[in-house]
Amino acid sequence: MTNKKDFIEIRGLIKRYPQAEVNAVDHLDLSIAQGEIFGLLGPNGAGKTTTLSILCGLISATAGSVFIDGLSMKSHPDQVKQFIGVVPQEIALFDKLTAIENLLYFGQMYGLTGKSLKDIVENYLLRFGLTDRKNHRIGNFSGGMKRRINLIAGILHQPKILFLDEPTVGIDVHSRNVILEFLREINQQGTTILYTSHHMNEAENLCSRIAVIDYGKLMAVGIPAVLIRSHAGCENLEDLFLQLTGRKLRD
Amino acid sequence: MWLFLIKYIASTYKETLLLIRDRAGLSMLFIMPTALVLIMTMLQDSTFKVLEEKKLSVLVLNQDADTFGINIVDGLKQSKFFHVIDSLKGKVLAESALREQVAAGNFQIGIMIRPNASQTIRENIKYRMLQQLPEEQSGIFGSDPVSPSQPASIDVFFDPVTKNSFKQAIISALQEYSSMVEAKVLFGVYSRVFEDMLDIKLKKQGVFSRLVNINEQYAATDQHVAIPNSVQHNVPAWAVFAMFFVVIPLAGNLIKERESGVSLRLRTMPGSDLAIIMGKVTAYFMVIILQALLMLVIGIYLLPLLGLPQLDPGHHYLALFVLTATIALAATGYGILVGTMAGTLEQSSIFGSISVVILAAIGGVWVPVFMMSDVMQVVTKLSPLNWSLNGYYDIFLRNAGLMDILPNLTALFLFFVTCVSVSWWVNTHKNQPV
Repeated sequence: MTNKKDFIEIRGLIKRYPQAEVNAVDHLDLSIAQGEIFGLLGPNGAGKTTTLSILCGLISATAGSVFIDGLSMKSHPDQVKQFIGVVPQEIALFDKLTAIENLLYFGQMYGLTGKSLKDIVENYLLRFGLTDRKNHRIGNFSGGMKRRINLIAGILHQPKILFLDEPTVGIDVHSRNVILEFLREINQQGTTILYTSHHMNEAENLCSRIAVIDYGKLMAVGIPAVLIRSHAGCENLEDLFLQLTGRKLRD
Repeated sequence: MWLFLIKYIASTYKETLLLIRDRAGLSMLFIMPTALVLIMTMLQDSTFKVLEEKKLSVLVLNQDADTFGINIVDGLKQSKFFHVIDSLKGKVLAESALREQVAAGNFQIGIMIRPNASQTIRENIKYRMLQQLPEEQSGIFGSDPVSPSQPASIDVFFDPVTKNSFKQAIISALQEYSSMVEAKVLFGVYSRVFEDMLDIKLKKQGVFSRLVNINEQYAATDQHVAIPNSVQHNVPAWAVFAMFFVVIPLAGNLIKERESGVSLRLRTMPGSDLAIIMGKVTAYFMVIILQALLMLVIGIYLLPLLGLPQLDPGHHYLALFVLTATIALAATGYGILVGTMAGTLEQSSIFGSISVVILAAIGGVWVPVFMMSDVMQVVTKLSPLNWSLNGYYDIFLRNAGLMDILPNLTALFLFFVTCVSVSWWVNTHKNQPV
């Protein structure tokens, strides 16, 4: 069992895909406390998205255990899914539906209905500066606007834990700032955040703790500033990242 | 349960919006079956009419200016199927011209009645009769020598592209007229024998009127009899084909959701995936019901305006609706299954369309089941399109009610349940969380 402090507990997690020669996630142990913004960092193919997919209940692990707020996804899937929010790397929206139609639909998938759902959607659209575009189809939106709607779709039910997979990839500076500010804001209101990113600077500024993984293994975990100081020759998170994962190009 | 209901209603509404906004795809779902029904019905109707209304031109060279030749030509002329041509550009036909015209494809059929055909028939009848009479009566036909000879013959030339049905029609007609002429000649010879032997003069009146009437009618269990025609066959056949073609957009929709990450996002949300699947089924179910309604309207109101027979939908409307609804479920279920199992949009498009074409082919949409080989007649029972088509034929042509089509309904519903269950199981169990 987990204690109150450890909101997400990962023990001995292994994932090997069929026909793969190596483990995508290899004996991973992690504990994430309530109220943290936790950054899961690693080069391409390190096992970040696989770990996140297991935590969200999208794929099964080969071995190991995962508890979220003391509950196993296997035995209590609907309970866990009620209080987690997921923002995938892809723009997982319907191009032919308008922004408001998309958000109402995803809200209903969490069981929200009626005026309360409409109010939540309208508030988020206002918060993200999208009110005047709410009746436009997603297919006509810019990349940044799509990212913002993609984020809103994952938080309509006000989750206790938010999983984000590269939420700021490929967007303009303004949209990125709006998203990061918003993440800090909801974290201050009590939402625990687990996020993956390739932007080291962004992770260094945003995260209370980070974990660097490579080849599915945990390389380092801790507070960014402490980790940087504890590794000789590292001035920032990017130096640390390169020192831990090497300088070879990855696919 | 409450969450299931919310998810189901939201998914149905979302799918309906997506369908309405995909105008090109939606119009294809309605334009394609309309075009199929119109084109195929008109094509097959004209084929039906070729023999009945458009008389087939037949070149005839009659070299026997006697009973046999005259009666055969008269028979052909009086037939409603043939238009007899015995001269070209004012010139009487010669054998070589007849062969050339048919060989060149100007005419599909040429008939040549050989010289002395009537006389040959008479000689043969006399010879056979003499074999039956006592020896003292051997001089009944005078001193003329009577010897056996080859039967009289008619040569029929066909253009190589002539349809087999046309060949059968002309051969049957010639055989019928020949039999009648043979009977007449036989009667003439026997009359003469009777007159000579018994001194009785036979009257010809009424002798050659038909002794057997063939009453053609369609079997039915009650008063309502729908006449089978191209419309009664083609409207349900192509409507069923089009209804199952909904597999392609439905499977494509599932794959697009998977590729865009939407289906992954949905799987991170609480509640059963079944509600989302049923939402899709409901939206496409409505499309198929509208397709079927459109086909009925076309069959009843539009086809008669184009000079085609009117579709007679029978009078078991409840059975008609229940069958259409069950077909709609079977088609959407199959679409969900194809979309679940296919890995890419290309796979689903190719497999979806080809499998529907194959199921239609073995289901009897193109070739009637009774014309198939014994093996194929067993295989056809595996096609849901066959269960659908037979259900419509039962209602439209055999005046069947709900209980009569229960086996078809059961098979289609089980097909739907199997498809959706397999899809749901695959979606749920492919990736069990820890």
